Amino acid sequence: MKRRRELFVGFLLILPALIVLGALYVYPLILSVYTSFTVEGKYGLANYAKAFDIYWRDIIYSVLISFITTVVTLIVSVVVSGYLRFKSWKFLELMYKLPLFIPFLIVGHAMRVFLAPHGTLNNLLTRILRIEELPGLSRSWIGLVWAFVWIMTPYATLIVLGAFRSLDSAYIEAAQNVGASKWKIVVDILIPMCRPSIMVAFILTFVRTISSLTIPIMVGPASPNMITVNMMFRVNYFNDWGTANALGVISYLIVMVFAIYYLRFMAAERGGIKA
Amino acid sequence: MRRLCGAVLLIVATVLLAQLNIPIKVTLTMMVAGDQNMVDFFQYEIAPEFEKLYPNVKVKVVGTGPGDAGSQQIIQQLQLEKDSGKDKWAIDLVVIHEAGTIWGIERGLIRPYTDFLTTRRLVTMKTAEVALGVNVDGYVMPMFHSQTAIAYNPRFVKDPPKSYAELVEWVKKNPKKFGYNGIKGGMSGVSFVFGWVYWKSKNPDVLMNGPFDEKYMEDWPQIYAELKEFNKYVTLTAGNAGTLDALNRGEIWMGPVWVDMFYTWIREGRMDPNIRLILPEPGMPGQPMYFAIPTKAANADYALKLIEFVTSPAVHAKYIVDKFNWYPAIGVEYVTPHLGKEVFERLYRDIKEADLLKFGKRMPIADYRTRMLEAYERWVEK
Repeated sequence: MKRRRELFVGFLLILPALIVLGALYVYPLILSVYTSFTVEGKYGLANYAKAFDIYWRDIIYSVLISFITTVVTLIVSVVVSGYLRFKSWKFLELMYKLPLFIPFLIVGHAMRVFLAPHGTLNNLLTRILRIEELPGLSRSWIGLVWAFVWIMTPYATLIVLGAFRSLDSAYIEAAQNVGASKWKIVVDILIPMCRPSIMVAFILTFVRTISSLTIPIMVGPASPNMITVNMMFRVNYFNDWGTANALGVISYLIVMVFAIYYLRFMAAERGGIKA
Repeated sequence: MRRLCGAVLLIVATVLLAQLNIPIKVTLTMMVAGDQNMVDFFQYEIAPEFEKLYPNVKVKVVGTGPGDAGSQQIIQQLQLEKDSGKDKWAIDLVVIHEAGTIWGIERGLIRPYTDFLTTRRLVTMKTAEVALGVNVDGYVMPMFHSQTAIAYNPRFVKDPPKSYAELVEWVKKNPKKFGYNGIKGGMSGVSFVFGWVYWKSKNPDVLMNGPFDEKYMEDWPQIYAELKEFNKYVTLTAGNAGTLDALNRGEIWMGPVWVDMFYTWIREGRMDPNIRLILPEPGMPGQPMYFAIPTKAANADYALKLIEFVTSPAVHAKYIVDKFNWYPAIGVEYVTPHLGKEVFERLYRDIKEADLLKFGKRMPIADYRTRMLEAYERWVEK
């Protein structure tokens, strides 16, 4: 009896959170999956057919861009974290966090001007190298990845550095005693032992990249586009929520692949998820 | 204790007073699609003037952003009002694009009102009757007309191409120096693409006026294949503003722009004033912006007054034409007496009235419009 009452109180306590979750996440999710299967009131796969017909290249492109961004981001953040694990450098510590506090929109605009053919970067380079003109990076996939890496790195670094720092120093000191270089310690000790955290950083960066809209619109090339840009286009120009939602569901599925992998990985790592 | 009682009484009195419906005070809420200049126009120019005329009215302006996206947001908001089942809607007046107007009429979100509008008679263009091939007569009053044209920098382009055909030759000689924003970054690019299809199509008039029939789309694959080829020689810019930016930095030498935006930028010193405009043969589309009144607007009467105010010749001349560089929605002959000569010469410096009549095209009707955009995605971007 007492146990039941405790359960009831516990349930009441989490109820507000459940309601918020249901209203703001589960309900829209179901609605969007539902909408993606309806065309003018009838059920069917027409939206998906259209999404794949017109946007198959963009879907692949989105995954590739997100993947490249994530890999580059991880490399940069591991290097920065590795450095900061051994040496304290206040300036770097401050600088790498800076992009965290700048909104995507501002970054998008700044990158657009910075990387434009006659933008800040090229003006500087052409003057130093004394050449006429350089091609711009904005409106190309390299510029897009550049902007993404810039905005995603601090977040990933926070996670990775946190993991590196919380690792028991005894392991590192032991390695140092037998003469391992710092690089070797990062590769052979820090990275393997912090794998779960690096995986978290990987998945978060990937999800944040693939769902970003502002940066691809402002910095990305006119074609191909990220999925999000196409979703916006379907809604704004055609009032076509069906195909937009189909594209949304496709991106859920892509993200889901990683989420499942992550869960299974964590389960293996910790000997199964315990209740 | 006495203090507490006093405080409670005061609160009760305030609450009761707040419940009273004081009839003469009116907040006129309007939602405006379009760039920031449209919001500023109503907020800082029209609202103060209108509030002077009707001191009991307060005008509240909400901007929703440029392009059909802005209209889409307004339509969603009106749909919410409708779904709420309330008798009086919170939005009294909207300013929307053609596509938005059609969505609004289809769903019963806006109402016919122009029977009671005296300035409706001054409209000489067809835009008050037909939008994208749909009959909108009665539902809308145009606010202004905007036109796209090709801007070019005379420093690099001495003899600008006068037609689409000459432009195709020109880009081959000057690769990457012509820029437009594709179709996802704003309407100036969309308009350029529509102009391209009009130029190549065997039946441009059908595309603009209907009827809709897929048989008129037979030549499209070829048309778009040629556009894809053309795209190899051009730069794709980031949006309407992106084209202007790139022109200004000298990255591109030519590009399609909105005429009003172009002149406004020049006026604000954000654009090299030496850059000129040309409307190439066989023409590029323009579009009006519309005033519409939501079906159950609480203050429809004052909304009507405001529309009448903005579209009256004197106010129209002073603000729409002189200050914001838009082409007038009402007949030029009614506006001219209120305009200085230099204003006229500025607005019609490069593109003469005759050019506008001859080469200013309409947007394609809704069904073709959708298919033209999709065709671009399918055949040009892929």
